[in-house]
Amino acid sequence: MSENSAFQPSRRQVLRSAGAGFGYLALAGLLGEQTSSAASKQIAHPLAPKEPHFTPRAKRLIFVHMNGAMSQHDTFEYKPQLQKNDGKAGPGGGSLTASKFKFTQHGQTGSWFSELLPNLAKHADELCWLRGLHTDTPAHPQAVVQLHTGSANAALTRPSMGAWLLYGLGSENQDLPGYVTVNPPPNFGGAVNYGSAFLPAHFQGTRIDDNGYLPNLRATAANKLQRMQLDLIQGMNRNLASAADVPDSLDGVIESFELAFRMQGKVPELLDISKEPQKVLDEYGVKPGPAGAFARQCLIARRLSEAGVRFVEVCQPGWDHHNNLHKGLIDRCGSVDQPTAALLTDLKRRGLLDDTLVLFGSEFGRLPTSQGQDGRDHNITGYPMFLAGAGVKAGYTYGSTDEYGIKAVEGRMHTNDLHATLLALLGLDHEKLTYKYAGRQFRLTDVAGSVVSDIFA
Amino acid sequence: MRLMRGWRRWLPGLLVLTTAATVCAQQPDPAKVEFFEKKIRPILAGHCYACHSADTKPAGGLRVDDRNGMIVGGNTGPSIVPGKPEESRLLKRVTQEGKRKMPLEGEHLSAQELADLTSWIKDGAAWPAIRMPASFGKPKPKYEQLKRDHWAFKPLTKPQPPTVSNTSWPVDDVDKFVLAKLEAKGLKPVGDADRVTLIRRVTFDLTGLPPTPEEIDNFVRDKNPQAFANVVDRLLASPAFGERWGRHWLDVARYGESTGPSRNIPYPHAWRYRNYVIDSVNADVPFDQFIREQIAGDLLPASNDNERNRLLTATGFLALGPKDVNQRFKVRFLMDNVDEQIDVVSRSTLGLTVACARCHDHKFDPIPTSDYYALAGIFTSTDNAAGLRNQMGGAGLAYYVPDMLVRLKGSIAPADPKEVARLTAEVAKAKEAWDNIRGTPEGLKRGPNGQPVQRPVRLKYEGLQAELLALTDPAQKGLAAHGIRDAKLIADTEVRVRGEAEKLGPVVPRGFVTAFEVPGTSSINREQSGRLELAQWITSPKNPLTSRVAVNRVWQRLFATGLVSTVDNFGTTGDVPSHPELLDHLAGKFVQDGWSLKRLVRSLVLTRAYQLSAEGSAKQLATDPANRLVWRHAPRRLAAEEYRDAVLVIAGTVEKGRPTDTAAQHLKMIEIRDNGPEAKAIHEASDRSRVRSVYLPLLRGLTPRALEVFDPVEQTLVTGAREETTVPGQALFLLNSTFVRKQSLAFAERLLADSKTNDTDRVRSIYRQALGREPGDAEVKTVLAFLDNYASTYVPPAAPVEKAKPDAKPKAAAEPPPDPDQADQAGVAIVEEVIRPKDARTAAWLAFAQAVYASAEFRFVR
Repeated sequence: MSENSAFQPSRRQVLRSAGAGFGYLALAGLLGEQTSSAASKQIAHPLAPKEPHFTPRAKRLIFVHMNGAMSQHDTFEYKPQLQKNDGKAGPGGGSLTASKFKFTQHGQTGSWFSELLPNLAKHADELCWLRGLHTDTPAHPQAVVQLHTGSANAALTRPSMGAWLLYGLGSENQDLPGYVTVNPPPNFGGAVNYGSAFLPAHFQGTRIDDNGYLPNLRATAANKLQRMQLDLIQGMNRNLASAADVPDSLDGVIESFELAFRMQGKVPELLDISKEPQKVLDEYGVKPGPAGAFARQCLIARRLSEAGVRFVEVCQPGWDHHNNLHKGLIDRCGSVDQPTAALLTDLKRRGLLDDTLVLFGSEFGRLPTSQGQDGRDHNITGYPMFLAGAGVKAGYTYGSTDEYGIKAVEGRMHTNDLHATLLALLGLDHEKLTYKYAGRQFRLTDVAGSVVSDIFA
Repeated sequence: MRLMRGWRRWLPGLLVLTTAATVCAQQPDPAKVEFFEKKIRPILAGHCYACHSADTKPAGGLRVDDRNGMIVGGNTGPSIVPGKPEESRLLKRVTQEGKRKMPLEGEHLSAQELADLTSWIKDGAAWPAIRMPASFGKPKPKYEQLKRDHWAFKPLTKPQPPTVSNTSWPVDDVDKFVLAKLEAKGLKPVGDADRVTLIRRVTFDLTGLPPTPEEIDNFVRDKNPQAFANVVDRLLASPAFGERWGRHWLDVARYGESTGPSRNIPYPHAWRYRNYVIDSVNADVPFDQFIREQIAGDLLPASNDNERNRLLTATGFLALGPKDVNQRFKVRFLMDNVDEQIDVVSRSTLGLTVACARCHDHKFDPIPTSDYYALAGIFTSTDNAAGLRNQMGGAGLAYYVPDMLVRLKGSIAPADPKEVARLTAEVAKAKEAWDNIRGTPEGLKRGPNGQPVQRPVRLKYEGLQAELLALTDPAQKGLAAHGIRDAKLIADTEVRVRGEAEKLGPVVPRGFVTAFEVPGTSSINREQSGRLELAQWITSPKNPLTSRVAVNRVWQRLFATGLVSTVDNFGTTGDVPSHPELLDHLAGKFVQDGWSLKRLVRSLVLTRAYQLSAEGSAKQLATDPANRLVWRHAPRRLAAEEYRDAVLVIAGTVEKGRPTDTAAQHLKMIEIRDNGPEAKAIHEASDRSRVRSVYLPLLRGLTPRALEVFDPVEQTLVTGAREETTVPGQALFLLNSTFVRKQSLAFAERLLADSKTNDTDRVRSIYRQALGREPGDAEVKTVLAFLDNYASTYVPPAAPVEKAKPDAKPKAAAEPPPDPDQADQAGVAIVEEVIRPKDARTAAWLAFAQAVYASAEFRFVR
């Protein structure tokens, strides 16, 4: 940086940085230039709410992520033919294996659930099933990344769905991160799954743990003093923004400080679930230690959504049952059934389900055939997820798989279609939500994706 | 003694190295398999399965429902030695008299059964192989096409530097390759970086540290045309070069000082490998040799003990991976470790995801399962001497096996033999007591304190065991490393059908990846594991991948993005090179220059391309926003280690040089829990430490808090490129962390201590030290106003508050210590230290120093 640049950028530099968002506004302000208030708002707060493309059916999204591929055949994909042909050869090879768990019908809709999910089954009539999903790669690292970013191509990391949502809609609450991921898996793409890739850095997800712990959240100086210090830092950052060789992520840096400052005030209270009434804690099954981790996540998700966080993801790993399927499912379902059901109940009770959409499921499904003595292998050709809440038909099923639950036959939905539909529910046209990078317009849905409007309420 | 597997004895013709796509896979003799099915399996099932099978349990670590389970044996060693009944423990245990005669319950074996078992072992212990699909081992048309067409498998070319229009711009051939691409797109490189920017850039890039104000001044004033080259040579010669570039290799080598998932067991000798890497980089050990040492150091000649120790330490590369010690079955533990070794070797050196072929032929690259098991045979013939064994559950030193460490040369004073004898006897007695009570109804009864009666018996045994080890275990005197060595059993291994350790397919001869040819490859020495030949094959100048992958990694460290952006993946799902000719030019030159990292780095930073300004320009941004064509220098955020080190250096608190001691090296190989006392001690040691970040304890899952928010490396995976995020968590760290506040205070106090200067000069000094430049007048004015304002508004912070994680509940005193398997994983109490400046003036200077540390200008290199 040249020595004379401090707070006195040249005209040339101002013009050059005009495309650079916040830097421009800051300079414009310092130079006493006029900017329209709308533009000012937009530039000053990159996370400010933005107009959707059309009237949204949902304002925010919670993704309840069953990482590792939960076996649908033992939980909520009931196939009479599979039960009947237990032990016989499957159409695609392997030996068909009926679930060892008992299935019964629930609710007005008569939806089938296995005995592993007694609490979730009570919500049978509120769920909107997508039963004809399919994806591209039968390996977790690729499939998890594709589910989160639309593409498994390792050569070019894409922005995550949450980052696209923030980019498209902004955040409802300027004192909170707009996108929070709780206990994301450390592998299978890691930070890519909540990253912003080539979108501006302030759209990436903020990671917290299941105790709601975010380090360094407590302010170390009186508010007034810290604001004074922050103004000095931001002044230096804006000064840098006027230089020719600005790092691309500078706007993200500037915004991250403002957000951090506001978070100090609001977040500790928000993440402290201990103040919830005992009744609510019990409803979710909150307890200390790993046994209560997922319950804490679900309760944190409700509190964050209530406070206006656009996208919250909670994650339960450990579904990759190539072996030890029986005990493994009892254990995993035992940890997710009650909290997930409680989340739906709680959201509904608070009226949040009217404008909050919940997505539940895995990166792919498992086969109806056996693997080893007690396992099931991956299946990317047909598997279910469900939606609940804002904008979707309750007690509805879209799509289906063949008689054994191997391949999606009706209402087939690729991951791109799922993304297109989710964006549409949130008021965004997946073909218009684009960002130019490396010479071309990118989308969450790449060059594909159709909106499945059949499921819209 | 080297042992031969039965199947090889039947088929001597198998001793042929195959590099073609077809595999000479062998099926066992049908008559022998029939004998096994009729006579032997019923014996094993009837007498042994109840305690030694996958469906029940592997008592004593032994399984007899799996051939390899018997060969690798249980906790006391191999159970059968095919062809050698007299060496087979199985026969001893079923014939010996006394209370340990097997089976412990039920009928003992009849004379006929013993005779059958003996002759089965003598005949090679045949076991049925699983029928493989008809396509197994046959050439696949898709693979053959990929082998021919995929760019990375083609031999290196020797491209001529292209001609360029602007002949005055290039200073090196590299520049010609870069400029030609730019000109083809109608782009021009931006101007050169100014000298202050350039020296800050090259000093961080080469050493991970900021330049001092004197170094900057000297360079800015130096009119010698060689001035920049002199700076570069000074940096290359500095020990800090190895600390920075060694760290790069440690990222790729997924370095970690504990096993990671399931049960986190420390690797207390891992620091030796870390030092080996740093020293090798500083000594500019040729990269090919560096790789050979890490894969086969134990098989290379050494002229003296120091050299031998160095080479043994190098093999830590293969031993320090994440391990699931909680695996029930030894064969699975072994095959998982082999898989991890194949993954780290293939991705770090070749940029290939060979491990994808463990369960099925690679879906995208021409790597059949048979290639995977050809490599696996090399590693199953190798002991992973990390000092550990698998065990389902267990506390204390249950996972530690001193003999499974690599002993280093050197002498230690022998322990007092009397004391050793006394302790040995006591340990034996204590063990007997423990064995007698363990798991019995009596032992599990609760005593008056609520604990099982057997608990003190176990604690006594473990305590004595530890005492004895402290006397007799050379590892505890520091004469050990985690490494590898050739196993006693050298043999080809079987394909494991769908990757399942027990599902044996045909044996495949040991060999290498067949996706490409490496002319002049030597065949595997049948007397050894084959790691030496593998290392030679990888580092052959004719290997099309190794040199390309290596130079691409170096390019990425200096230019932000690799010529192949997917630095760890040169397969068909990876990127294609942005400058294929340049990549080959660099790879060829690298080999020709003796695989010298320092020469390569030197030549790259002396190019004009490296010295470009980071300035943006509308046209270029529109055409090539990602800067793949290198029309400017890409600014980058400081990495986690660089940030911490720079803060310490500028605060004047850094401890220079290498620490002689780290917190991790005193840990025992006993499981540590995230919320246990050892973990807390490690975190506190890291918090206190003022050494360079590369020397901090780096146990998996216990990332030092001062590095955590700045995207440190994921320690379980080969990671050639780190994330570079800018999230609010970082801003919170910069505003509130004890680390930044403490160093800011040190910085402020150091400046204020100099009473001969004035505030304006202090402000200038901070700018020069931290940002490398003089502040403008307006900046000085702003800062002075801030200092006044802050000091006059200042109120001291409130009394410290102990802040605990929401569900960390204090334990009642009477509560028994938890069973490690039922341990509460709730978080540890987090006490955030409050930094207290002595007065308002110091507080204001602290706040300013901290602001500088937090500023984007400090955190980015341009």
